[in-house]
Amino acid sequence: MKEIANPYKPEIATIEDTWQETYGDRAIKTFKVVLDDEEIRENWSHRPGQCAMIGILGVGESMISISCSPTEGKFLRFSVMRAGKVTQALHELEPGDKMTVRGPYGNSFPVDDWKGKNILTIGGGIGQAPLRPIIEYVKANRADYKGLSLIYGARTSADLCFKDEFKALDERDDVNYHLSIDIEEEGWEHYVGFVPSLLMEVDPSPENTIAITCGPPVMINFVLQNLKELNFTDEQIYTTLENRMKCGIGKCGRCNVAHLYVCKDGPVFSYATLKSIPEAFA
Amino acid sequence: MVDLEKLRTVAKETISRDDVKYLIGWRQGTYGFRVTPCFIEEPGEAEQLIFSPLCTNNLASYLIVTEKLPLPRGEKPDTRKVAVMVKGCDSRAVVQQLIEQGIKREELYIIGCPCEGVLDLKKVEAKFPHILDPVAAQWGKDKIIFQLPEGVVEVPREEVLAQKCLDCRDPNPVIADITLGEEIEAWGNGEYQDVKELEAKSAEERWAFWEDKFSSCIRCYSCRNVCPMCYCKDCILDRLNPSWIYRSTNISENTAFHLSRAFHLAGRCIECGECERVCPVDIPLMKLNQKFSKEVEEKYGYRPGIDPEAKPLQSSYRPDDKEDFIL
Amino acid sequence: MERMKIGKEKFGDFLAALDKQLYAPQKVGETLRFVPITPEDKLDLEFSNTTVPPKSVLFPQTETLYRYELGKTDLNLPDDEAEKVLLGVRPCDARAMAIVDDLFSWDYNDPYYQGKREKTTVVGLACSDPEVNCFCTSVGGGPASTEGLDLLLTDLGEVYLLQPLTEKGNNLCREAAEVLEQATEEDAAAAEKLHQEAAGKIVRKVDTEGVTEKLMELWDHSLWQDLSRACLGCGTCTFLCPTCYCFDIQDEAEGLEGRRCRVWDSCMFAEYTLHASGHNPRPTVRERTRNRVNHKYSYFATKFGKIACVGCGRCINLCPVNIDILNILAEVIKEAI
Repeated sequence: MKEIANPYKPEIATIEDTWQETYGDRAIKTFKVVLDDEEIRENWSHRPGQCAMIGILGVGESMISISCSPTEGKFLRFSVMRAGKVTQALHELEPGDKMTVRGPYGNSFPVDDWKGKNILTIGGGIGQAPLRPIIEYVKANRADYKGLSLIYGARTSADLCFKDEFKALDERDDVNYHLSIDIEEEGWEHYVGFVPSLLMEVDPSPENTIAITCGPPVMINFVLQNLKELNFTDEQIYTTLENRMKCGIGKCGRCNVAHLYVCKDGPVFSYATLKSIPEAFA
Repeated sequence: MVDLEKLRTVAKETISRDDVKYLIGWRQGTYGFRVTPCFIEEPGEAEQLIFSPLCTNNLASYLIVTEKLPLPRGEKPDTRKVAVMVKGCDSRAVVQQLIEQGIKREELYIIGCPCEGVLDLKKVEAKFPHILDPVAAQWGKDKIIFQLPEGVVEVPREEVLAQKCLDCRDPNPVIADITLGEEIEAWGNGEYQDVKELEAKSAEERWAFWEDKFSSCIRCYSCRNVCPMCYCKDCILDRLNPSWIYRSTNISENTAFHLSRAFHLAGRCIECGECERVCPVDIPLMKLNQKFSKEVEEKYGYRPGIDPEAKPLQSSYRPDDKEDFIL
Repeated sequence: MERMKIGKEKFGDFLAALDKQLYAPQKVGETLRFVPITPEDKLDLEFSNTTVPPKSVLFPQTETLYRYELGKTDLNLPDDEAEKVLLGVRPCDARAMAIVDDLFSWDYNDPYYQGKREKTTVVGLACSDPEVNCFCTSVGGGPASTEGLDLLLTDLGEVYLLQPLTEKGNNLCREAAEVLEQATEEDAAAAEKLHQEAAGKIVRKVDTEGVTEKLMELWDHSLWQDLSRACLGCGTCTFLCPTCYCFDIQDEAEGLEGRRCRVWDSCMFAEYTLHASGHNPRPTVRERTRNRVNHKYSYFATKFGKIACVGCGRCINLCPVNIDILNILAEVIKEAI
């Protein structure tokens, strides 16, 4: 079979670095990987919001959002929650180990259209992973955008991802962030409560602002309600859908929400689009 | 024979009870000889119900496989009973589910329908092809009477009856809250003729037989899904971690699938024959299950799904149990 | 190329003249499916339709994407496909190929499907005896429709009439020119008459006008609950559907030999959409049945401009609980405003 143009044939990548973001049953681990083939590595390009199918030979593949911005360098980052068979096996991997990578897949956040606007991200738990590339992209092209505000929450402080990166934002005056945890903890200096409530507390102005939200379905539903209450229009709100995927290229069937394939037409959707799709919030 | 009028009256009374949420019965299907399971919620809908030799489906399967959505916050679960119509074999499924504590007796209202044997639709549709208009059928003496569009046709029962019914030992429901119609004298003798024929063959011949059948399996899992005794929440077939049985279709995986299922049904299969009926590629699964039933009956004198007070076979050790098969 | 004919007794010679891998319906277990044959094999084309549609050749139920040795990273792709001939394909199933072609070629080409499709010549067999649940004429087909076929055979009793439809079909006739003879006007007329008679025998019908929109209007309608409740959630209707193409990708290993393969999957299985988190966006048979029907009659139609159903009737014939897609569509049409 011809080597060229086989979208199912993955690239081999080497894990350069890994670290544990969170611990527990649903631990999250981040992988920094580089593609082995030099030419493909140099020509690789992805946009914020896109995903890749990563896997282990002999175990399987899993669709994971690319959690770095292309502006960060010639590597890929994936933050993976341990849940199913493949992600469990991924969590066993250490620097130097190999994984398979194919992609990038799906559409992306329309970061070009957002130039000159305020960017507000609202994340919950592992939902911060697809938001991270936007944040890094905006930071790398800071002059193109107005305000950058981040709202992020998790169950406990130990469940927050990218903690060091948030801390590092303290050094900058052009990014502001708000963190929350669900339950009171000793020494916690930020908000206690759910993300949708924190959003109301922060009370962002919809004026020239794009709000992007990712997280568990329940959180998204309440965030959407609250954004409407804050007078955000449907066109100002973006989210990503996560469905089970196998091929990534609009063939295998399962990721559809009505006539749209999340792997092709998504994962990024504006609320204006999603509102008209019956299955979108199932 | 079950009188239709009586059946519908009983159904109406049942569904009108405060402690019954719905009734599972049979109604005429969308064409020809087909009958479909139906779920009656209102007394008025009871008029659709039928009971005839066409009512092949074992409705006891629905007692256990019906998917339940998580309750909305604050809503209390509906603890009313499910009413279900059962033939003799179907009632054994209910009993076995009770024995295994898959369901609770107080959750059920059982309407027993003594049965003179149901039809093998493959035989019937081969005999009378191309029939779109709904057909009714009823039992006659040693025959089945069809009301075909062109008129009434009688067929000797052994020509069209399902294989499992030709040797039926349990035409009467073994458990019921109400039984419709007269008790029927059983005609089966439990000789396992089918199994004996296969047993008489050499190992090579038997393997050739099963290899051909298992090769045709498309792993649609209709046999598992229809089975009233296949109700594990986490079936080994769906498990990916570890993958006990790969999803690949080949003789090795297909055989592993069918043998695992047969083993899991040993001492549990109540011989309703639904697996064989629903198989789209006509694998004679009952020959496999009957082999196990025969072994279990010969070795332990055990027939599952007869006595609700009995213990499951695997948890009913007796000092005099045969052990001569242990290598 | 012109219509040709061949005596049935010489059909084996026709097959022998073709230097290609031959596939034809043969009994495996108790039912018919397309399997490799040799020209010497006994061929019985007197069937209504095969139980397993010919998609099993172009889109096998299990297909290796690539092989590898566990612990290593070299990926070995399968060899190039041989030239194939699919013999005795019913026109409905051939139309299904034309529909599935759109899916496997949009945006990304699927090299596994297309590798086989391009190298396969599809020889159809006009349908003379439709089954009770055939409804091809309601969804744009017919007992002798030619879409997706390269060559159409019509059984004229003593002889087969051969009607080449594409260059691939012409090539077959050229390769076997020695054993073929020119068909007469009478042969063609006889075939035409048989085709029309067969179309007249189709009794089940559905009016698909506007059904794509009607289905979306009825998203939350109670008919989905009522008509799906008996569903057992098995894969019969989808696995045996000639236009269903959903698949899963799985890694399998035996010893140190590993492979990543794709296997048929079914939207009627609960696991199909189950997230690793335990959340299932289609939690019951109601949502899954709605997706199956909507996919065929609405989503696919919206995306590719054609209904993904060819009216072969398999899903109706083989459903163990009599869930009948024509009945569902009739309800949809009745309930839509």
